[in-house]
Amino acid sequence: MEREFNRNLAALNEVFLFVDEFIAAAGLKEDAAFSVRLAVEELFTNLVRHNCGGRDHITIELERDAGQLVIRLKDFDVEPFDITKASPVDVRQSLEERRIGGLGIHLVRSIVDKLTYEYENRTLCVTAKKKLEGKDV
Amino acid sequence: MFEISREENDHVLLSGRLDASQVAKLKSVLDTVTQSCVVDFKTLEYISSAGLGVLLATQKRLRDSGYGLKLVNLNKHIRNIFAVAGFDFIFDIE
Repeated sequence: MEREFNRNLAALNEVFLFVDEFIAAAGLKEDAAFSVRLAVEELFTNLVRHNCGGRDHITIELERDAGQLVIRLKDFDVEPFDITKASPVDVRQSLEERRIGGLGIHLVRSIVDKLTYEYENRTLCVTAKKKLEGKDV
Repeated sequence: MFEISREENDHVLLSGRLDASQVAKLKSVLDTVTQSCVVDFKTLEYISSAGLGVLLATQKRLRDSGYGLKLVNLNKHIRNIFAVAGFDFIFDIE
């Protein structure tokens, strides 16, 4: 499934409706469903907030393929921005040491098996893959 | 849809889906909390890093005055996200 969304946080409601449509079609149970919702939101909001000056929409593709979920976001006519290079978060830091922000990609890395970045012809593409287990479907 | 209500001075109830587009509602209420407070997740289905950031900022502000947030009734998905974020070390979670 693939759909375009406006490049702003107000589009999140539409994004979640699309994700829920995919979850139902793919027959995902709640554990996998929560992971897909979270990964899509974190990747989408990251692209919106970074705003590489591209077109006014971002494309989201969701696919269940041979025992895995594939989540792919494309941002067109933008400068390079590799979100997979985000600094790691030290979750053992004390409250005083912890800084606000930077958790989104950390969460995505923790719930998917592979996160990759590609950039070609001014199109940025982020792909997250998550293996499906018996409890997920 | 996300809703937040302040049941009493020291008790806040969260409901629904707390995503990045809804986080201002959470901030507007938690910014008014000035002492220790229970945040009840009983009917909250979902949270992302945007909501975690507001909770962390509030905890930092309250701890400077010797207070803190107590988080209760987290579902298993949200509890897992808190563990991944290391929040189980910096919040009182019940």
